Amino acid sequence: MTTTPSKKLGPSAAARYLLLRPTNSHPVRNLMRFTNINDDFSFPSEREYIKDQKVENCGKHEREGGKKKRTICGKAAVETSISGEQVHPNQKVTGTCYPGRLIPGTWHTATAFCLRLDKMVKFTAEELRRIMDYKHNIRNMSVIAHVDHGKSTLTDSLVAAAGIIAQEVAGDVRMTDTRADEAERGITIKSTGISLYYEMTDAALKSFKGERNGNEYLINLIDSPGHVDFSSEVTAALRITDGALVVVDCIEGVCVQTETVLRQALGERIRPVLTVNKMDRCFLELQVDGEEAYQTFQRVIENANVIMATYEDPLLGDVMVYPEKGTVAFSAGLHGWAFTLTNFAKMYASKFGVDESKMMERLWGENFFDPKTKKWTTKSTGSPTCKRGFVQFCYEPIKQIINTCMNDQKDQLWPMLTKLGVTMKSDEKELMGKALMKRVMQTWLPAATALLEMMIFHLPSPHTAQRYRVENLYEGPLDDMYANAIRNCDPDGPLMLYVSKMIPASDKGRFFAFGRVFAGKISTGLKVRIMGPNYVPGEKKDLYVKSVQRTVIWMGKKQETVEDVPCGNTVALVGLDQFITKNATLTNEKEVDAHPIRAMKFSVSPVVRVAVQCKVASDLPKLVEGLKRLAKSDPMVVCTIEESGEHIIAGAGELHLEICLKDLQDDFMGGAEIVVSDPVVSFRETVLEKSSRTVMSKSPNKHNRLYMEARPMEDGLAEAIDEGRVGPRDDPKIRGKILSEEFGWDKDLAKKIWCFGPETTGPNMVVDMCKGVQYLNEIKDSVVAGFQWASKEGALAEENMRGICFEVCDVVLHADAIHRGGGQVIPTARRVIYASQLTAKPRLLEPVYLVEIQAPEQALGGIYSVLNQRRGHVFEEMQRPGTPLYNIKAYLPVVESFGFSGALRASTSGQAFPQCVFDHWDMMGSDPLEVGSQANTLVLQIRKRKGLKEQMTPLSDFEDKL
Amino acid sequence: MDFESKYEVSRVATFIRSNKFKRVALQFPDELLKDSTRVVGALRNALFGLCCKGDDNEVKDIGLYVMADTTYGSCCVDEVGASHINADCVIHYGHTCLSPTTKLPAFFVFGKAPINASNCAKHLCDYASSTTKPVMVLFGLEYEHALKDIIIEASASASARCKLHFADVMSQAMIPSPSPTKGSEMNGDAATTTYRIGGLFWSLNEGHTMDDYSLCFIGPDNSAFANIVLTFNACEIVRYNATENEMLTDTSQQRRILKRRYYLVEKAKDAEIVGILVGTLGVAGYLSMIHQIKEMITRAGKKAYTLVMGRPNPSKLANFPECNVFIYISCAQTALLDSKDFLAPVITPFEAILAFNRGSEWTGKYIMEFQELAAVGMDMMPMPRKEARFSFLKGAYIEDPDFQQDMNGGDEDGVVSLVNSESALQERGKDDKMMVKGSARSGLEFFASRSFQGLDMNSNSNGPEPFIIGRTGKASGYDNETSKSTT
Repeated sequence: MTTTPSKKLGPSAAARYLLLRPTNSHPVRNLMRFTNINDDFSFPSEREYIKDQKVENCGKHEREGGKKKRTICGKAAVETSISGEQVHPNQKVTGTCYPGRLIPGTWHTATAFCLRLDKMVKFTAEELRRIMDYKHNIRNMSVIAHVDHGKSTLTDSLVAAAGIIAQEVAGDVRMTDTRADEAERGITIKSTGISLYYEMTDAALKSFKGERNGNEYLINLIDSPGHVDFSSEVTAALRITDGALVVVDCIEGVCVQTETVLRQALGERIRPVLTVNKMDRCFLELQVDGEEAYQTFQRVIENANVIMATYEDPLLGDVMVYPEKGTVAFSAGLHGWAFTLTNFAKMYASKFGVDESKMMERLWGENFFDPKTKKWTTKSTGSPTCKRGFVQFCYEPIKQIINTCMNDQKDQLWPMLTKLGVTMKSDEKELMGKALMKRVMQTWLPAATALLEMMIFHLPSPHTAQRYRVENLYEGPLDDMYANAIRNCDPDGPLMLYVSKMIPASDKGRFFAFGRVFAGKISTGLKVRIMGPNYVPGEKKDLYVKSVQRTVIWMGKKQETVEDVPCGNTVALVGLDQFITKNATLTNEKEVDAHPIRAMKFSVSPVVRVAVQCKVASDLPKLVEGLKRLAKSDPMVVCTIEESGEHIIAGAGELHLEICLKDLQDDFMGGAEIVVSDPVVSFRETVLEKSSRTVMSKSPNKHNRLYMEARPMEDGLAEAIDEGRVGPRDDPKIRGKILSEEFGWDKDLAKKIWCFGPETTGPNMVVDMCKGVQYLNEIKDSVVAGFQWASKEGALAEENMRGICFEVCDVVLHADAIHRGGGQVIPTARRVIYASQLTAKPRLLEPVYLVEIQAPEQALGGIYSVLNQRRGHVFEEMQRPGTPLYNIKAYLPVVESFGFSGALRASTSGQAFPQCVFDHWDMMGSDPLEVGSQANTLVLQIRKRKGLKEQMTPLSDFEDKL
Repeated sequence: MDFESKYEVSRVATFIRSNKFKRVALQFPDELLKDSTRVVGALRNALFGLCCKGDDNEVKDIGLYVMADTTYGSCCVDEVGASHINADCVIHYGHTCLSPTTKLPAFFVFGKAPINASNCAKHLCDYASSTTKPVMVLFGLEYEHALKDIIIEASASASARCKLHFADVMSQAMIPSPSPTKGSEMNGDAATTTYRIGGLFWSLNEGHTMDDYSLCFIGPDNSAFANIVLTFNACEIVRYNATENEMLTDTSQQRRILKRRYYLVEKAKDAEIVGILVGTLGVAGYLSMIHQIKEMITRAGKKAYTLVMGRPNPSKLANFPECNVFIYISCAQTALLDSKDFLAPVITPFEAILAFNRGSEWTGKYIMEFQELAAVGMDMMPMPRKEARFSFLKGAYIEDPDFQQDMNGGDEDGVVSLVNSESALQERGKDDKMMVKGSARSGLEFFASRSFQGLDMNSNSNGPEPFIIGRTGKASGYDNETSKSTT
């Protein structure tokens, strides 16, 4: 057996920490970091994965340096190791962690790894800063994937090989001890960004066509969470990157989240490259033969390409990925190896005497080679020795090496390795079985090299990317100096910086503003103009001028203050957090003409809400402060206050909310206790038909009368308004065109839209249908004010209205202006709007999730029964080709989704895992005005919760008779 | 109940006589107006009865005037109304808030509502024995007459005697003093703290605060009670309903009010234009309050307009759609106006102080009376603004726009912004004007952004318009409309 690991990797050589990651079955966020691992536990290798770690004892809380921590121990259940040494099943794992994350008795997948610091790149801040100037040599990229497709594992192997860490940290024995608080912060930093440094050889760069300054490359990589509830984090990551590494599980293929993030990426004009991950499963677990494996890979790539083609953008050009062009990698993140066809093409090109690109083409697609005849054909000749190029030259050799290693046939192995030009260290030669295999593969096809080279070759530099991204990014005219500076990635141009995320800093309550410099330079002490999301050029709303206290870059886990950061790079700023809620555009103080950078569009929306209050009334200021911070820390969460005075937290899903609440209580409120209500779902009010009659309301002085009708909007119009395709700021001509062509409106009518609402942009409107009414212009403002008010609080349950078009049919006004002022018209407009809503068969709309579930066949029964109980319905069931897995798509009302994951797990013995995304508003069939109907009960519930009068106001209170 | 005793005719007569008032205004609320002539008659008889020989002329000279339909809340003394007849004093009938008057002496007749004293006492004792804290008993002033009986009945039970404390009523006669005393302050000897609310006052020994007490209120669920619930929101409060003879322990509806007020404060923080509604011209200190609030609003970089409109109602307030919030300056008991019918929220001066003084926090403390408020308002110095303001309505930071302008002189402000907004509007074309209306920062700006700008002088046709026949008939239904509805 092997040497004892502790001897091999003494604490002085390694920073040791253990990352605990929750399995999908339990909603605990992100990565769990352990420090102070006891000496009796040590890691046998650089990277270790301990699966299904059961946390047995959450230990007791202690205080250390003012911080609560606890010792935790657990047991490893399954072993997997890279370099051979075994982690014993049931081996004890001990460490400390910070409270609030782990639940005793539950299973977590633990990713434990010791980064060998001597392998990572040691840099001083000045050195790192130097590379930042080479805009052609920077790659900003994010790693995106479906949950559990091996994103973080793959990222880890890149970090281990090329991560930049601060010089002075290397070799610091006490690193893990002294930096306990930083380790905690590390969680967020990790999801924020890691800088990698990679130096290419001249030979490797021979075929590189683009511009470059030298061989050094800086890769700013952002690893984002995979769960749908956190896809807002992905959105934030995409905004500040130019390329994306799409990770797809070779067996599971393209899943819903892959598609969602890919669509988002392409919407942001992010160029993707693909890696087909978990290759090891093909060789070890499933033992598929070459041709079958090829077919599987081909299908995965094809599926990904179908999506990319759907969302193609002419400016971005062809975004599809091709193995033969080197934009697809094949990787085994767990084992730390990966290759692109380039690797093999290089190897064989000389042998066959063809150039590399020719060879690459032969290694993919319908190219077959028969070693007997030594001939390439485009069809299988049927001869048993005739195999596809990929199978013959890539798959089989790997398979052979793996099998040889696994069978410990070392006598055969060494000659093969020599032939491949792989040299092993002597102590590595003593490894056995799986460990030997991993080490051999890592040496032969190191993951970092293949992936990093792919990124450098095929992902754009900021200079290239900003050329076409400027249109998507900049809100202002595309020919002004700011657009040009962004387009050219001009470090001497005016500053344009987009803050995409706020990152909690170690001193409680403060945040780093994290973002990307698109043009110019940001420097410490610079006075900047902060343009918030509601800033309108020329106005003073949502605009601040402040100085940057510090400009910070991250090196590993450590922040380094630098003088300035030029465009094309990511940066964190200190001292602006009290003026930025979530994101903002920064520019120089003097650049008053600059328009902001377009706001990010999120694929998820905060539909699940809870009301929070503090247990002790005097904690209210803490709660208020905590909510403020929470709103900042997460791009998606919304903290508001309800009419009834309750504080509301809205999140994308149950899991998201759970995490937010935990953060709120533990991190942002210093542990003050809060009381959380049951989840509350907001509804919308709409109408089913046109009003049964024209309704009339009289003004308080009885001298003015408004006549109105309500009707439902055409299908899709409300969505078009949501998306901003139709809106108040449009050119009336364009709006008229869209309305008449897509929604069958009369052209003249389209010109008579008075307003949208609520909040002047909502999916309801008022249209003027009157003919020849005197003084109509005079009351327009008043009617609009009444409409904004009414559409925000519908007549049923004071929920927002949606999809209602109100038509002003006739207006009778008093001849004296004094008698038809706002005081008379505004309340009347509100009443007549309510009356017309109530006469048009009002209905409730409820939010509906799109649920995607992946599960084996035997779990289907359970899935269906759970969905049925919860008013869900399946609309697509598809078997994944080549797998026993089924993909189920269903609609599930959000109201019914609470506890859905748990119920699903229970009824399928943990085999099914749902992903829920808000999809649409669905009309509830029953009539809310009919006493005892489902919708009616719901309305009464909402009214009760809001503290309104129990019964709805009857129509007669809104409508008047002549 | 006996008419004489209900209206305390003899006491009023004595009050008038002893102070030698010549012109007396009798202020009646609407619901008691029907008795006013009888009261005047009775009062006059009583005055004659009181006079000694030869004083007839003097009594004849006493003018008794009935005042009704008060401009503001009928709980306050209508001093302006009384000044119209140059009254020397006001006799106030019916429900009152006992807010101090500015210059006229007043006498309050609370009226006497029927109450079952023994039943009430029994409930009080039951409640006192069910709670561990001492109980402070407050009551509606109309039950003041029965208080003695209740105390006697309640004291019969030994356990309740030590736990029940009763508040006292301020003197029915009110003579305004030039230097109004401040409420809730040390009273003579430092060992006690005096609380006053709605005409009641009581003292607590040092070391005790109201949080140590349970409250029991005898009376209906009216604004006086709402006031008490808000002011002592940390105490447990029960209410004895005298008409139903029952003890109500559930005050969740009232607690809701507090939360709702909290929401209104948050909403007010987002306001750009504030309307100050003058809701009283009588309560002492109202003028200084208005000035104080005005100054505070200006300091907060917002625009304030003062409006005098009597009792506010939705259609009156909707005539000022540019105001995002109204501050209602009135006596404590009429100040709480919360109707969803109002386009903009109406808040109290205390809430305004919370909303517009940056750095002040909602602590649960709630103050209604001007005197106390003035003291609080003075204490609160505006904090330097280190941070942008977080708006819970929008869930994001919002800076009050004047913040940065404060430094470079805000005088030209209105004009500059008007010019700005006008040019901005012109660029976007006429149709969009109203659809994208931002929040205006002054009335001027609001008007500028309205779609209706007055008569359109440059209409396309230069020729004279043809003769048009207008509507005929009554406004409640013009001729063409009635014919339409009949067919």
